Amino acid sequence: MASAFSFTPASHSSTPSHALADWFRGTSRIGTWLPLAWYDICLRYRRSMLGPLWLTISMGAMLLGMGPLYAALFGLPMHSFFPHLALGMVFWLFIAGTINESCGVFTQSAGYLKHADSPLSLFVWRLEARQAVQLAHHALLYLPIAWWAGIRPSAAMVMFIPGFLLLVFFLHAIAMALGIMCARFRDIAQIVSSLVGFLMFLTPVVWQPETLPPRMRFVLDNPFAILLSLVRDPLLGKTCSSDAWISGVAWTVAAVIVSFLVFAWKRRQVVYWV
Amino acid sequence: MALLELRGVSIDLPVFGFDAASLKKTVARTVTGGRIKFDTGVTVVRALDGISLTLRDGDRLGVIGHNGAGKTTLLRTLAGVYPPSQGTYLRKGTLVSFIDPMLGIEMDATGYENIRLRGLVMGLNHATISRLSPDIAEFSGLGDYLAMPVRTYSAGMLMRLAFSIVTSVRADILLLDEWLSAGDADFRQRADQRMREIVANTGILVLATHSPDMVQRECNRVMQLSHGRTASDEPVLERLMSFW
Repeated sequence: MASAFSFTPASHSSTPSHALADWFRGTSRIGTWLPLAWYDICLRYRRSMLGPLWLTISMGAMLLGMGPLYAALFGLPMHSFFPHLALGMVFWLFIAGTINESCGVFTQSAGYLKHADSPLSLFVWRLEARQAVQLAHHALLYLPIAWWAGIRPSAAMVMFIPGFLLLVFFLHAIAMALGIMCARFRDIAQIVSSLVGFLMFLTPVVWQPETLPPRMRFVLDNPFAILLSLVRDPLLGKTCSSDAWISGVAWTVAAVIVSFLVFAWKRRQVVYWV
Repeated sequence: MALLELRGVSIDLPVFGFDAASLKKTVARTVTGGRIKFDTGVTVVRALDGISLTLRDGDRLGVIGHNGAGKTTLLRTLAGVYPPSQGTYLRKGTLVSFIDPMLGIEMDATGYENIRLRGLVMGLNHATISRLSPDIAEFSGLGDYLAMPVRTYSAGMLMRLAFSIVTSVRADILLLDEWLSAGDADFRQRADQRMREIVANTGILVLATHSPDMVQRECNRVMQLSHGRTASDEPVLERLMSFW
């Protein structure tokens, strides 16, 4: 791989400033990881009839099944429940997919890591971009659902963008830390997978947070619930409280700091571990 | 002005999951290349031990040694993949590694798509790949096959494609694990010529090989590795006489 350092590469140093430089080096190579992420999706669906559109169709089938059933079970009106469910499932698949796949993000790229001096962040962004492409395919379904439920574009929807950015960086931090740890200890992946499954029920993906009795409200304090509400509520036409925003930012910053410490401390070893 | 320098570099490769000391390990120590130490349940193989090396423009280094001596590890260290456990590593200039031409090749993608994919893996951007694609396609000589998925290719065709892509980039420093060649006699002739051009235009060449002819022909310095250590780094002829 052609690269153009003029001195000892940043990847060899253990100082935080070099770690940060190395992270930026990977992030700036969007011309590499974004097309690769897109190809990952296309190639997976090559030789299938409808290609990546299957992503949309399978999500649609799941929502059509879950929507009426759960609405009846919870005794909720479909007009308010269905969009909530659709967005919940769509974003949860993005979150769960990113976290679960992050366990193998470096171990599965061992060939690339040992071939040339590649920044770790490049692989994490590739993973997240791939998940985001899938998210986009799933999210197409929200348009007809929102239209049917009477949700119209409003100014409040703009707040989806900062919410989504927070989620992206929160997940990136988690993915990086998990990827590094799983390169060393191969059983962490199973633990993560169980935890993510558990979190899906703890987080208001399907159920609506308003239905929670007051003494159980602490359940909503988990970062996934908070960030999910920051991306979902704007698209439902609602505004989030400033408390939710402060919380979301705080969790993201905390995750980024912890993840960066793990990254700066252990990134040089990853190529030895895979 | 390319420069590649290692000073007292040692590479310790951790091996996890190794069982407690056993007869097997004693036997393993004699047949594998590295010298094995034991440390808190994690086995550490010292793949390179105190290697010092300075390469400048015009240097053509041949690396020879028995299987497991550390040639590939040395190449990876020179590529900047392994941060040294001890010692320092310094590089000036661009570097391209021809060690694994098949890396990034996707079987279900077409020849053209693989040119793009392999180019991305090499760190090239969209515009550069588009610019290089016609030459790569033409050099490979695969014609209409490039529009078909590469899983339909024969092994030789695949290597021709990989070779054409990998040799389309130029850099100051070139790392080779065995001389790169592929395809039928006709293609091999063109491939050799291209390799010769690339080597002639490159600042530093490092070639790991088992072939004395190769070293004789292409290199002006040779390093012999044995169990991770280097015996010497001398002008070619004397070393070859004593090695073979």
